[in-house]
Amino acid sequence: MKKEYSVVGTRIAGLDEKDKVLGNVVFADDFTLPGMLHGKVFRSTKASARIKRLDVSKAKAFPGVVCVLTAGDVPNNESVKNVVGQTTEVGLLEAKHQVLARERVRYWGEAIALVAAESLDIARDALKLIEVEYEELPAVFDPLEAMKPEAPKIHGNNNVIASWKLRKGDVEKGFAQADVVVENTYRTPRQEHAHIEPESGVAWVDDMGVINVRYAAQVIEHYRDIATVLGVPESRVRVIGTLIGGGFGGKEDVTVEVFLALMARKTGRPVKLTFTREEMGYARHKRHPYVLKYKTGATKGGKLVALEAEIVSDAGAYVYLSPWVLIYSTVHSTGPYLIPNVKVDANSVLTNNIMTSAFRGFGGMQVVAAYEAQMDDLAEKLGMDPLELRKKNFLKKGDVTASYQEITSEVWLEKCARAALEALGDKSKGGKTKKVGRGLACAWQSYGRMTYLHDTSNCWVNLEMDGSAVVRTGIPDLGGGQRESVRAIAAEVLGLNIEEIHVISTDSQVTPLSGTVTATRALYMSGNATKLAAENVKKVITDKAAEMLSVAPEKLDLKDHTVYVVDDPKKRIPLVDAIKQCHFEGKIPQSLATFRAPFTEPISSDVIKDPVFPDFTFGAQAAEVEVDIETGEVKVLKWATAYDIGQAINVNRVEGQMEGGVAQGLGFGLMEDYLEVDGVPWTWNFHDYIIPTSKDVPDIKSIVLESGSGKGPFGAKGIGEPAISAAGPAAANAVKDAIGVRVTHLPVTAERIFFALKGKKD
Amino acid sequence: MSDPNLNAGCMYDICITVNDREIRGRVKAETSLLDFLRENNFMDVKRGCDKGDCGACTVIKDGRAILSCITLALQADGSKVYTAKSLGTWDKMHPLQQAFVDYEALQCGFCTPGMLMSAKALLDAKPKPTREEIREAISGNLCRCTGYQKIVDAIEAVARGEYR
Amino acid sequence: MGDFRFFRPTALEELLDFKAREGSKARILDGGSNVLVYIKEGSIPGGTLVDVKFLEAIKGIEVREGRVEIGAGELIADIMESPVIGEKIPFLRDVLQKFANPLVRNMATLAGNIADSSPIGDTIPPLLVLEAEVVLASATEQRVIPLEEFFTGPGKNVLKPEEVILKVQFPVPAKGRGGHIKLGLRKGTSCSVASVAVWIAAEKNRVEDIRIALGGVAPTPMRARKTESSFKAQSLDWDRISNLAQTVAEEISPITDVRGSAEYRKQVSVGLLAKAIRQALGMEE
Repeated sequence: MKKEYSVVGTRIAGLDEKDKVLGNVVFADDFTLPGMLHGKVFRSTKASARIKRLDVSKAKAFPGVVCVLTAGDVPNNESVKNVVGQTTEVGLLEAKHQVLARERVRYWGEAIALVAAESLDIARDALKLIEVEYEELPAVFDPLEAMKPEAPKIHGNNNVIASWKLRKGDVEKGFAQADVVVENTYRTPRQEHAHIEPESGVAWVDDMGVINVRYAAQVIEHYRDIATVLGVPESRVRVIGTLIGGGFGGKEDVTVEVFLALMARKTGRPVKLTFTREEMGYARHKRHPYVLKYKTGATKGGKLVALEAEIVSDAGAYVYLSPWVLIYSTVHSTGPYLIPNVKVDANSVLTNNIMTSAFRGFGGMQVVAAYEAQMDDLAEKLGMDPLELRKKNFLKKGDVTASYQEITSEVWLEKCARAALEALGDKSKGGKTKKVGRGLACAWQSYGRMTYLHDTSNCWVNLEMDGSAVVRTGIPDLGGGQRESVRAIAAEVLGLNIEEIHVISTDSQVTPLSGTVTATRALYMSGNATKLAAENVKKVITDKAAEMLSVAPEKLDLKDHTVYVVDDPKKRIPLVDAIKQCHFEGKIPQSLATFRAPFTEPISSDVIKDPVFPDFTFGAQAAEVEVDIETGEVKVLKWATAYDIGQAINVNRVEGQMEGGVAQGLGFGLMEDYLEVDGVPWTWNFHDYIIPTSKDVPDIKSIVLESGSGKGPFGAKGIGEPAISAAGPAAANAVKDAIGVRVTHLPVTAERIFFALKGKKD
Repeated sequence: MSDPNLNAGCMYDICITVNDREIRGRVKAETSLLDFLRENNFMDVKRGCDKGDCGACTVIKDGRAILSCITLALQADGSKVYTAKSLGTWDKMHPLQQAFVDYEALQCGFCTPGMLMSAKALLDAKPKPTREEIREAISGNLCRCTGYQKIVDAIEAVARGEYR
Repeated sequence: MGDFRFFRPTALEELLDFKAREGSKARILDGGSNVLVYIKEGSIPGGTLVDVKFLEAIKGIEVREGRVEIGAGELIADIMESPVIGEKIPFLRDVLQKFANPLVRNMATLAGNIADSSPIGDTIPPLLVLEAEVVLASATEQRVIPLEEFFTGPGKNVLKPEEVILKVQFPVPAKGRGGHIKLGLRKGTSCSVASVAVWIAAEKNRVEDIRIALGGVAPTPMRARKTESSFKAQSLDWDRISNLAQTVAEEISPITDVRGSAEYRKQVSVGLLAKAIRQALGMEE
């Protein structure tokens, strides 16, 4: 029986939302301080070059310019460790990053110098006065070319910076048993996060000499990276995270904060830096484009017998999180299916393209484009209904995956897929030139960080004398409602209304660190931490109330500002009385709690045979499209998305994540591609990099299923990343259904469809 | 104002009525309306792209929803401009604002002020639009978080009279 | 930043005198939806920005002597809502509905789109098939140029530095119907890959007169006169239209850019033309 809660699982209108619609929220660029300077970044216009000469003297002398910084001004400009930008050091993966280019630039747009000036106009003019001479060096832009021994090397001796494998059974024997085999090579786009708020922040040195950086941060723990680069103690750097105007992983790696801190420290004045839309295009990381070669075999009865795959990801010019993204891809590469024989080889390769790193889906998304296309093509060859084939192969609770991880939660894929397909209703009619098709895609995506990272999350809850509560949590809020989830959980446990819970968040020196908003861990980790802290506070109250009521504490619960006996509700006392009594006796109803994610040993070899993730979210999306066969244009007619999210905390928010995931995934599938030609950016603004508008996304039916089997608070699972992964492939499958030929190169644009149709005719 | 050669330097006096308040200033010829608004603390008008491609800067000028980032401030000299802050207060929200909250028609909230102004302009001109007409009216306002579903639901709810 | 000045004339003579003095250093804002973008991109280094908002002389949408005359200062949104347009040439309203998005339509003008002279300017092919003319004025003279002769290259036109566009005009069509197909990369605020406009006068699907214009497939928007002749006097059905439309591929010279390849534009224009003709003839899709 599904448990009913008072706050959790309802449709909650959050308090932050009210501030947002009133226009009250101070986003990063809305913040100003007296005497504030404006920063700009001088960037490379070569994809691969040595800096022969750099002369900033004219810029420095320009009236109104207060400082110009180059690599020599940065105390610790180079880092050789695993990534500038994560909270914990892991493993053996070496990566070189530089704050400002000292001698070499490796991608078009790489930062070379910083300018801080009295006004933005002056800073812009000063950039034009910086003189630079390049000596162009050999470059490589195709990751497959970059893997060859003769390719120019981006760093060190090898462009392959990560390799992961899956090995299970014997694929040769497996394919020998197959009655049908489908082989295809897929390509997925270099997708841009395209959050509407640009990267932005303000830094200043406060009256205690602490460097403060107030910026749009998915990771407030970057204060450590700032401290390292500046060569100051970590205790002397404070990050204040703002409410973020969209992140999706784009504000996860280091963006403006290190630049800001350098300029603020050098000038002694507040400095603001906001990326332009163009800068977001050519200077900030993207989603890894992938080449995926898949060979899948099945028996005529529809059982998958073998999968062999080669996966190559374009890591761009710097390593960032590429090795981890590849782990996700490798583990998820089979799809949510039980396949007895698996051989997957995945490589991530440096090129002189823009660097690639975290983006919602984090590697788990690109592989869906391959595995869900394979399933549909297999179904077609077998003459089997696409859902029927999938049903015969879905993972079940208790199965062990090809990466040797046991599935410990319910797997409601069939329920999700049926619900999504049914929600499409009757099929639309086409016409002479318009063909209608439907596509299904099922996917799995982990939630929670990789389990060998010893992930933790802290939260501090205290009850005020009047029964209202304060929650302090470091968790950033990208718009996904992290703060509202925390508020709802505290309200549920303490029997309060959400209006009575004040959440203070996202300040590295004031709020307990809760970890990053990445890896769909926010609800799982910070939600559990909040629940723990709230339950500890509740225990202080119920222990005291038990004495006052002469009952055992286990018999008590909190609701509507009372502490009452569950079996005999008339027996109760006002909450405030219990609180008062606690205070009299020095038993303060507050708690700082740490939630620790379960730990597993690190991956021991490049063949992944260890559990890596806490759990997975399973779901399905179904799309109906209309293709104009004269032009290749796609019109999306209908969409349904169905996920088992364990337990909804805020139903509005879950649906919101699902619907947003549809739009962003639909973009990946049909229209988005950040193009670079020989390393030179082509689509760096919203005019040329197109994302779905309100006319491109149809009405979406969201079906929220709750198995209660998640590891998050109240049995919740994460939804942030799972919501997106299946969308593009659903659209691609729908197009295939409409026109009878598959476009394997995403995005499935009109031009690609047009020529695929021509090829079919010929 | 009629012959620029008579002006000393390149700064111009300007007066725009913003949210029913006269705002005076001195601007350059190329200063955008968005720049002027934000310099005068109307921070609810957002800068998303500065090139007219995203709609985050949408305001209502002389009754029409326009993009303030590609409008010169001087083009709005003498005009009446309304931003999202003109719609309501904490105690008395505009029906559109209340609907957006109730229907969760926002997540990060960055596109929301511009989105609200496009919605208001639509309902002022056409009180009972179809869902298709709503989607058309907000097609210049990009949202990356919501997938537009609940935004359309919220605007439709107001049009339907749910907030009278 | 550049060195810019601002000027808001209140009478046409003021504007024309100023243009006579300043030439191309004076940029008409005409809706202004493009100029500030160019300034920010750095392609306009300086000059005077001229706001023509108060000029009555460039306002007005009327019919005179069988001609629809649209003042250069009329916003696209206002043209769409004009009862004159709704009555005399609803085709134009339908075309403008596809232009950008409502926000841009509240700011942009036909004259601005024409002066921009982009090969892909969305309003231009429809105006070409309506055989539009632009009325140009300077301090010393006025001249009327057929729109087809206005463009000389991508972003280039015959407008002299001292001239402004006063109005756009075209004869009220005596007979026939229009068709317009725009191929874009997405459904909202779509930058066109290519577009086709047609105006056909036909009796029982036998062509009496046909005009065809395309955008995005040549250095300027163009009339496809060779293809027009191949359609003249033909009796059209679905297949005949598809066959005859093939001619257009030979008349156009598209390029490859971020929105599409030359080969795609070449081949898809055939289908776009067929669609536009079927639309004009009211054929079911």
